[in-house]
Amino acid sequence: MSQLIKLKINGVTKEVLIEPWWSLAYVLREVLNLSGTKVGCESGNCGACIVQLEGKAVNSCLLLAVKCKGKEITTIEGLKGKDGELHPLQKAFIEHFAVQCGYCTPGMIMAAKALLEEIPHPDEEDVRRELSGNLCRCTGYVKIVEAVLAAREATKTRS
Amino acid sequence: MPEFSVVGKSIIRVDALEKVTGKAVFCSDIKLPGMLHAKVLRSPYPHAKIVSIDTTKANQVPGVKCILTGKDVPEKRYGSTVRDATIIARDVVRAVGEAVAAVAAESVEAADKALGLIDVKYEQLPPMFDPEEAVGTKPPVTIHPDLFNYELASSFFKTGKLLEFDRPNVMMHFKIRRGEVVKGFEISDLVVENKFTTARAQQCPLELQVSIVQPEADGSLTLWMSSTMMHPARMDFSRLFDLPLSKVRVGQPYVGGSFGRSASRGEHPITMALALKTGRPVKHVYTREEMFYRAGNRIPFTVYIKDGIKKDGTLVARELKIILGGGGIGEFTVGLVAKNCAFAAVGTYRITNFKLDSYGVYTNNPVAAGFRGFGSGEVTFAIESQMDIVAEKLGMDPVEFRRKNILREGEPNVTGEITHSTGGAGCLNKVSEWIKSDEKFSLDGAWRRGKGIALANKYTLAPSTASARVEVTKEEGIVIYHGAEEVGQGCDTIMAQIVAEEFGVQVDEVRTAPKDTLHTPFDSGAYSSRQTYWSGNAVRLACVDAKEKILDKAGEIFGVHRDEVELKEGFVYPKRVPDKKIRIAEACDSFIGGRIVGNGNFVQEFAAEDPETGQIDPELAAEGKRLNSSYAHTAKGVEVAVNIETGEVKVLRCATANDMGFPINPKICEQQAEGGLGMGIGLGIYEEVLLKEGVIMNPNFTDYRMPTFCEFPELDKVKIMFAPVPHKDGPYGAKGFSEAAMVGMEAAIANAVYSAVGVRIKDLPITAEKVLKAIKGSKEIY
Repeated sequence: MSQLIKLKINGVTKEVLIEPWWSLAYVLREVLNLSGTKVGCESGNCGACIVQLEGKAVNSCLLLAVKCKGKEITTIEGLKGKDGELHPLQKAFIEHFAVQCGYCTPGMIMAAKALLEEIPHPDEEDVRRELSGNLCRCTGYVKIVEAVLAAREATKTRS
Repeated sequence: MPEFSVVGKSIIRVDALEKVTGKAVFCSDIKLPGMLHAKVLRSPYPHAKIVSIDTTKANQVPGVKCILTGKDVPEKRYGSTVRDATIIARDVVRAVGEAVAAVAAESVEAADKALGLIDVKYEQLPPMFDPEEAVGTKPPVTIHPDLFNYELASSFFKTGKLLEFDRPNVMMHFKIRRGEVVKGFEISDLVVENKFTTARAQQCPLELQVSIVQPEADGSLTLWMSSTMMHPARMDFSRLFDLPLSKVRVGQPYVGGSFGRSASRGEHPITMALALKTGRPVKHVYTREEMFYRAGNRIPFTVYIKDGIKKDGTLVARELKIILGGGGIGEFTVGLVAKNCAFAAVGTYRITNFKLDSYGVYTNNPVAAGFRGFGSGEVTFAIESQMDIVAEKLGMDPVEFRRKNILREGEPNVTGEITHSTGGAGCLNKVSEWIKSDEKFSLDGAWRRGKGIALANKYTLAPSTASARVEVTKEEGIVIYHGAEEVGQGCDTIMAQIVAEEFGVQVDEVRTAPKDTLHTPFDSGAYSSRQTYWSGNAVRLACVDAKEKILDKAGEIFGVHRDEVELKEGFVYPKRVPDKKIRIAEACDSFIGGRIVGNGNFVQEFAAEDPETGQIDPELAAEGKRLNSSYAHTAKGVEVAVNIETGEVKVLRCATANDMGFPINPKICEQQAEGGLGMGIGLGIYEEVLLKEGVIMNPNFTDYRMPTFCEFPELDKVKIMFAPVPHKDGPYGAKGFSEAAMVGMEAAIANAVYSAVGVRIKDLPITAEKVLKAIKGSKEIY
């Protein structure tokens, strides 16, 4: 049975008519046209679909949209600051060459954002452990780790 | 070496901003008004006759617009060597996962529901899974009884000796003969024979395979696909559907990773057939499981290698027999890989007596296709494991043994090509220096440490074609049209750097036009690590052409001879009066239409091999003509820890040195080098597509293990080095190396495992089970 739910997406409350079996990833991409969130495996293994739900990193392909009723969701589209400035993680990913094909990038950045909010000063091991649910086939992960570590300080000052 | 201002510098990637903001458009992001969704019904059997297909019930599902079976689509076949693939199976299925019917519906759910209601009756046929059985002259099963009636792809029309009438399951037999291999073994002091195998693996691009087709009012088709080679693909599609080339248009958004699989035509023709039939746009997105069945797979290799060596370490003779276990259809590339894998044995060592036979064979396993390296990694695993085995038997240092036999500039390789731009020795030196260093690791008592190296090359193929166009206008600035698809390798940035260098401007003053066959000049596309060399040359030539025209025009403007005009840093001016300088774009404005167009075509004559001997004409070779356009060279070094109680292998640190001729963007080269190491660790230790009676046991990311953050060594344990030797025909000396970046890693790991625990694993991947079993079986106690 279709139902109308409210989702607070990137700070804006939206009413969405959904089917109860739709995943959050489906609603974001297909209903709300927020295609920055990617889908890679639909089984919660690759992390390409990671968004923040109430601040926590979640695989939006595994989460039913109906479960997110009234909750706050942040996607890659909501990352830029009010002045249009890039998030420190986005800057660091660009400057440290942490982007190749770019398909894992939005999920990677969202997972890293949640990580930096949870562990204010992660070391390399923290980054590797916390991001191990995000797969990247292009990079060997080196430059992604470098970018996240570089974004630590800047993120702190921003918040 | 001339001074450059843009090439050779780590300019920020031109695609990075779009990608970090989620704005980059991939095929899966495209939606069209009125779009239908496609789903494909696949064979559950490895080998079966299709007795009947009943779509009555499926057609009644609300929202279903069209169901196609083999008889509803053109009968023509496609493939890059033997044209063996039908759009949808007809009469017989030869692999689990082969398309049997396709549905287009208003929603994915409706299409899925319809799939479940299509009633297919099969009569199972005896399957054959073992490539070694399949390759023989009396195989139990002949998978394509009509093989000898199939067409050959255009590039093989002339030489066309890939099939052999006495081997009915062989889609390609490639041969190299040089010297007298039998005599070579006779005069050797030591003869060493081994057999190696590599596993079926998955390319695992993060993006799922997608195609979207829009039928246009004039009967033409516009296709967007998450594959590469838009121009050659377009030619195949036009032939398949009997449409003039002008009626097939292919657009190419960003591709979310290729790793070899996107050079295949895949099932894009199915989406085209559905769009033609319904008159509506159709989108087809694979599931991850379908990616495992139908979007590639690294072909499993069996490599027999026999070497004859003199006491002093001279490699006198080498014989290789290589068997590639393809699937029920060659898909697009198995035949090509069967040929091109041979070059791994060509580009590195000097061997007087050489014999190679490689066979691409059909089995009833799921389709396999090109994987990064196109067979180089697989053959290199055998060769570089063998080099260590031989060195030990000779009592020689493995680095010294390699160094002694390495091809030098100007020497003929085993196909008669004259070696040029060979950085192998430099790579080997750098890695062997690195590996001597010692690092402390805290490991408990069950772990043993070992080090290993490998040396390798990866060819970039020829012949090939690349064209590009650069347009300069006052309003738009510099816009570049090139056909190298951006799959993550960074080619859009490389091309923009070349343009910026040629015009003396900044990279952000150059824009790249979206890739679309409608306006992008012909380019063979992104495969074979060819973009920097081929597309890069075309782009540079387009700039040269535009600059000539600009100089002519500027001469008119300034009233001086064109030779008196200087073009520098984005400006033109009379050499004697630099103050009169005007921007290039302003000079272009005075052209008719306000536009200067520069065209570049890069064509390089190549020397085709003799199909019986693999040799190129010695006269052509002496003129510098080659079989391949270039070879990238690489060395890998690995330190592993092996747990003698569990068999687990862990990469503690690794290094690579690469010869890419000239690093146009050093950071992008680092990206490729690091990614290559990562993928090599996966293929070396973890990755295998497991089959049981032709069914994939692990077609998902839960059960198929590719490396995560945790399987790759820490930042300070990874060393990336460059050992570039410029190529005379490459742009600024550059050649592609994105596949070489990975090649050799599996062998380096195997050699390191041997040095740690004394067991030689000859079958990839080097899993804990295999290592433990080998340790328990070995007599020595560690």
